[in-house]
Amino acid sequence: MIDFSMYGAKVPTIKAYKCLTCGTVYYPAPMVCGKCSTRRDPVTGKGWETFDLEGSCELLTWTRVWNLPEGYTKKYLLFGIVQFENGLRASGQLEVEDPRIGMKLNATVKESDERPGNPVNVFVFRE
Amino acid sequence: MAIDEMEKKLRPPQILLKPYPSKVITLASGEKMVVREARREETGILLGTIYPLIGVPSDFYDIVAARMYAEVLGWYRYRVANEFVLVGVIDGIIAGIVNSRHVSSKLGMSLHTLAIKRGLRVGAQLFAAKMENHIDVLGEEEVYIVAESPNGFKRWMIEYQLEDRSSQYPEVRSELGGVPTYVLTRKLWDAVREVKCTGTRPVPEKDLKSAEKLIMPSEYVQIPGFKR
Amino acid sequence: MAIKVGIVGIGHTRFGNSSEYDLADVMAYAATDALQDAGFLERRREIDQVIVGNMASGMFCHQSGVASSLISRMDMEPVPAELVENGPASGASAIKIGYMAVASGMADIVLVVGGEIMRKVSGWEATDLVATILHSEAEYDMGLTLPAFGGMFTRLYMEKYGLTERDLALLAVKNHRNGAKNMYAHIQAPCTIEAIADGPEAAVVNTYVAEPLRMYSTCPVSDGAAALLLVNMDSPKARDFKKKPIRIAGVASATDTHCVHNRKDPLRLEAVRLAAEKAYKMADLGPKDISFAELHDAFSILELAISEEVGFFERGKSFLAVRKGETDIDGRLPINTSGGLKSKGHPVGATGVSQAVELVRQLRGEAEEGRQVRNPKYGMSVNFGGFGNNVVALICAKD
Repeated sequence: MIDFSMYGAKVPTIKAYKCLTCGTVYYPAPMVCGKCSTRRDPVTGKGWETFDLEGSCELLTWTRVWNLPEGYTKKYLLFGIVQFENGLRASGQLEVEDPRIGMKLNATVKESDERPGNPVNVFVFRE
Repeated sequence: MAIDEMEKKLRPPQILLKPYPSKVITLASGEKMVVREARREETGILLGTIYPLIGVPSDFYDIVAARMYAEVLGWYRYRVANEFVLVGVIDGIIAGIVNSRHVSSKLGMSLHTLAIKRGLRVGAQLFAAKMENHIDVLGEEEVYIVAESPNGFKRWMIEYQLEDRSSQYPEVRSELGGVPTYVLTRKLWDAVREVKCTGTRPVPEKDLKSAEKLIMPSEYVQIPGFKR
Repeated sequence: MAIKVGIVGIGHTRFGNSSEYDLADVMAYAATDALQDAGFLERRREIDQVIVGNMASGMFCHQSGVASSLISRMDMEPVPAELVENGPASGASAIKIGYMAVASGMADIVLVVGGEIMRKVSGWEATDLVATILHSEAEYDMGLTLPAFGGMFTRLYMEKYGLTERDLALLAVKNHRNGAKNMYAHIQAPCTIEAIADGPEAAVVNTYVAEPLRMYSTCPVSDGAAALLLVNMDSPKARDFKKKPIRIAGVASATDTHCVHNRKDPLRLEAVRLAAEKAYKMADLGPKDISFAELHDAFSILELAISEEVGFFERGKSFLAVRKGETDIDGRLPINTSGGLKSKGHPVGATGVSQAVELVRQLRGEAEEGRQVRNPKYGMSVNFGGFGNNVVALICAKD
C-alpha cells in the first residue's frame, strides 16, 4: 500500500545517526563507523538508526556575516556552532538578539530555499 | 545683474538648500579625504575631471560620466533644479564626485556616484555622504535610487536593504529611468548609518585648506597612459 | 630514498583582475616565465610531466580539463599532464605530486603550474562557489561560508587568548607594507594602523565582513597563476640549468574532519600540525631552523594560528610576537614577506605555487629591495585547504 502520510504536512527535521553495533552517534552521517568499522548502507539502513537532532544545546562560538553568498538578500546573518547534550555538534543559523559563548539555546529546523537548487533543511538556533 | 524675462522662464524654481557640513575621513591607506560640497564656480574643474571617463566603457564609467557631466553642467547653467554636488578630495585632487537633487522637503532623487580613485572604497563613502545629506542634513523622508551598474546596484540593495517600489511604477519612478525604482527611507538609513557613514567634523584647518582649491586628477587608473 | 628534487625555474603573473583572459592563457604565461627563468623554453617538450593545480575552473570559468588545455597553449604536446585539486591548497598539492613524480624516479623534469580565474563571476557568486568545499548538507546548505568559519574561529581565539581586533589589523599593515614592494602582488598599497584600527573612522573604513573579522583581515578575490620547474638534482639533465636549484627539503600533507564542528578541539588545526611535523621529519629540521615562512592568511587569524601549529610560537602567544615586530621583514622570523594572501592576493588554485615562488625568490636573494630577508637558509610554506581539513606544508632549502 502507499504511505499516504508522505503527502501530509512536512515538519523539517535533521537526522543524526547511531551505529547499532557500538552505540557511537554521528552528525552528519559517515559511510563507515569510525569506532567499530561497521558499514552504513544508505539504501537499507541496516545496522544503523537515525534520530532527530534538535532541542537544547550550548553555543560554542558565533559570528555575524555581512558578506553573504549569491541568493541571500539580507543585510547580514548570524551563524553559530552548538553542542548538544549527547555530545554531538552542529553548525547553523542563529536567531538570537545578543549571542554569548556558552549560552543555552534551542535547536530548531526550518526549510530554506536561499541556496540554489532544491529547498533544504537548515538549523536555526534560538533562545 | 538683472536676469532677463526669457532666462527667468527657463530657470527652474530654486529652493535654498542647507549647506553640507564638510567632514574628513581617513582612508585605509592613511590618506585623508575631505568630503565637501562643490561650489558653482568649481564646475569647470568638475567637468574636466568627469570628461575623460566618458570614453571608458568598462564598469559603466562611460554612461555614468556622460550623465553626470550633463547634470553638473545643467546645475551650473540653471537648468536643473535643486541639485547638490559633493566631492571627495585627497590633497586637493578630486577622488570622487556624487550628485543628487532635492526634489521636495520630503523627497530626494539620487543621481550619480563617480569614483575616480579606486581600491579605497571612495565610492561607498561618497554614496553614504550623499544619503547623509539627503536625510540628515536636508531632512528628506526618502530618496529614490536607481543605478547603471548591476553589481553596484545589487550592493546598495543588499547593504542598505533598499525598499523595492518597482511594483508602483510609474507612480514611483526615478527621473533617471533605468531599473524600477528602489527607495532609501529614513528608517532604513537609521538602521545602517552607523556602519556606512563616518567622518570627523569639524574638518581640521590644515585639511580644509588642502581641499580649498580643487585639482583635476593627472592620472586615471581606468585610462592607462592618460595625459590631460 | 634520496632522489633530491630541486626548483630551477619560477614564474608568476601579477595577481589581480585577469578575468578578461582565458585561464589556460594565464597559466601558460606563468609557465613560460618559469621556463624562461630556467633557460628551458625551447626544450619544453623534454619535460616528463606537467601537474596543474586548480580548484574550480568548472564553476568560475565554465571550463574543465585545464591541464590538457595548457599543454596546447604551450605547444608542448605530447607531454603528459594531469590536474590536482585540493580546494585552496591545490597549488601546494600540485607541488607535492610533482615532487612525488620526480622522487619516484618516473620523471626527471616536472612543470608545476597553479592558477585560478575567479573574477569572471560576481563577488556574491565567488563567495558561494568557494563555499562548495564545505559539507553540503551540514554546512553549505545552512548558508555558511569560509569567512563565517574564519569569524567563528577568530571569536574563540579572542575569548581564549585575549587577541584584539587591533592585533589583526597589525597583520594587515605588515602584509600590505611587504606586498607594496612585491611586483606580483594584487594590492600594492600600504595601509596605516590609524586608518584601519585606531582612528575615529576605522570602524566604517575597515568594515566588518564576518565578525570579528574585518575587511582588512580577509584576503581579496584574485586572478592569477604561478609556476615552478622541478628537476631531479642528481640526473645528468640537472646540469643544463643555469640557476642553482633550490631544494625541496620536505613536503607533506594531512587531513582533518570535513565538518568544522567535528574538529576534536575547535581551536586546533591538527592537519597543519601533522603536515608540518611530517615535512620537518622529511627535511630533518625543526621550527627553530626556519628562516622565514609564507603562511596561508586567507583570514589574518590563520597567519597567527598556523604559526603556532607549526611550532614557531607557543599556542596563544603568536600575536604578542607580532606586536613586537618579530615577524616583520627585519624581525627575528619574517612571515608573509610576499604580502601574504592579504596583499599578494589569493587566486585559490595558484596560491600554493605562489607561496613556493616566494620561498625561491627569497632563498635565491632575488626579492625586491626592502623586502629581501637577510641570508635565509630554510623557508617554509603552509597551504590551507578547505577550512583546515586538508593542509600541505613545504620546506625549501638553499644548500
